[in-house]
Amino acid sequence: MKPSVWLPPLLVTALFLVCWEIFGHLPMGRVKVVPPVSAIAMDIIHNHQLLLRAMLHTLTEAMVGFAAGAAFGFLMGVLFAEVRILERMFFPVFIISQTIPVVAFGALVVIWFGNGMLSKVVIAFYLTFFPVTVHTHRGLLSVEQQRIDLLRSFAASRWTLFWRLRLPFALPTIMTSLILGSSLSLVGAIVGEWFGDTKGLGIMLVQAMYVENMVRLWSIIVACGVIGVGLYAVLRFVQTRWIWWGNET
Amino acid sequence: MASRPSDRPIIELSNVSKTFGDGQRTVVAIENVNLDIQPGEFVTLIGPSGCGKSTLFNIVAGLLDAEGSIRFGGKPHNGCDLLGKVAFMPQKDLLLPWRRVIDNAILPLQVEGMSRRQARAMADELFGEFGLAGFENHYPHQLSGGMRQRVALMRTFLFKRDLMLLDEPFGALDALTRMMMQRWLLDIWQRHNRTILFITHDVDEAIFLGDRVVVMTARPGSIKINRKIDLGRPRGAEITTSREFLEIKKELLAAVEEESMKSFRIAQQVP
Repeated sequence: MKPSVWLPPLLVTALFLVCWEIFGHLPMGRVKVVPPVSAIAMDIIHNHQLLLRAMLHTLTEAMVGFAAGAAFGFLMGVLFAEVRILERMFFPVFIISQTIPVVAFGALVVIWFGNGMLSKVVIAFYLTFFPVTVHTHRGLLSVEQQRIDLLRSFAASRWTLFWRLRLPFALPTIMTSLILGSSLSLVGAIVGEWFGDTKGLGIMLVQAMYVENMVRLWSIIVACGVIGVGLYAVLRFVQTRWIWWGNET
Repeated sequence: MASRPSDRPIIELSNVSKTFGDGQRTVVAIENVNLDIQPGEFVTLIGPSGCGKSTLFNIVAGLLDAEGSIRFGGKPHNGCDLLGKVAFMPQKDLLLPWRRVIDNAILPLQVEGMSRRQARAMADELFGEFGLAGFENHYPHQLSGGMRQRVALMRTFLFKRDLMLLDEPFGALDALTRMMMQRWLLDIWQRHNRTILFITHDVDEAIFLGDRVVVMTARPGSIKINRKIDLGRPRGAEITTSREFLEIKKELLAAVEEESMKSFRIAQQVP
């Protein structure tokens, strides 16, 4: 990338951090509310092992839930697009299931699946599959009739239509939902830990909150941010590298 | 080339009709269309917009069912069993943006089950002839409109069928590109010995290309005029200003205009 692309946002971020640092050092006992950047950085460096372990734990929960949710969501999307009777039977149920806020289920899920990793995976899964289903379904059905007709005129089978036309056509839409799903799965894993866990970023957040450890809270927020940005960067890379055709005709 | 002897037509339509919708709101798109096409012939089809040209094409391509009799290669056919028997090129190029030029061209071969390597080898030799040499590995969005259309034509040619249906393939091109493409298409057609049914709404194009020009009536569409074009081949650009050409044009233009006015009046009557 050219410096003209990354330099301006970098400068703005640097300026922001400097202002933050100065603000953190002002009198009035502000440290309790907004600790200076340097204090947060020191906390992260001193406790990097603790943070890394928690990050790995939460990331694993999110990724397992994300992978399962994406796979299940994709399959459901394909099924609904190909078998219209199933679409009419189950699609409304899918939508209703998503109108109930996941937090309402949290306690129940932890009781059902224990306070280990599985319950967070389930929550991350629950948050991921729906957008993937909806986008897959919509993407597969948005292929213009003329394109389908052209392949039919080559005597294409239903499978060929799916594999050579519908699926590649839907991939950009599906990719968008994967980016959305990845950040939702991370939220699911963090919130899931609030209902009971011993490791992970979510439970560290709760612990830091109870003892009002402002510096630690910020360290954990940074850790969450790093994971979020990392996931986004990986998926965006996949998108621009392999699924670049977007909405061209 | 124009009057090549043949034993029987490649396709014979007799009394082919198509009605859309059911109940009270029905639209008769085409009615009692009779049309024979001989092997090796280049037939152009003109008619006012909305006269059912595309419906007729979809029927011949096997995409639509119709009433009446269709004989293809001497055998009776109905509806969808014509799918895969004719090479069909719609108005838009409909290239797949994620496939390279060469992979777009070989799409029908892959649909038929040929391996990518084999299909690419078959396509390779055509690139020069189609004016696409050096563009094999480009993506469609990197090409001009005329080039995209040539890729689509190449795709149609590679789907080796006796009859090719071309639906206004040059409609979206500028006049200069269009003239070049017309001459180029005649060249390709003569070398590859195919049969072509070509839709257009440009009378000049219809006469310049065709062994025969078929004029359709306003909706419900049927065949109004079946005019043999006795201009020699190969045809150069200068032929479009010859006396013979202009006489044919005068005759056909009158017929097309009459039908266009009819379809215009029909449209005005609709409440």
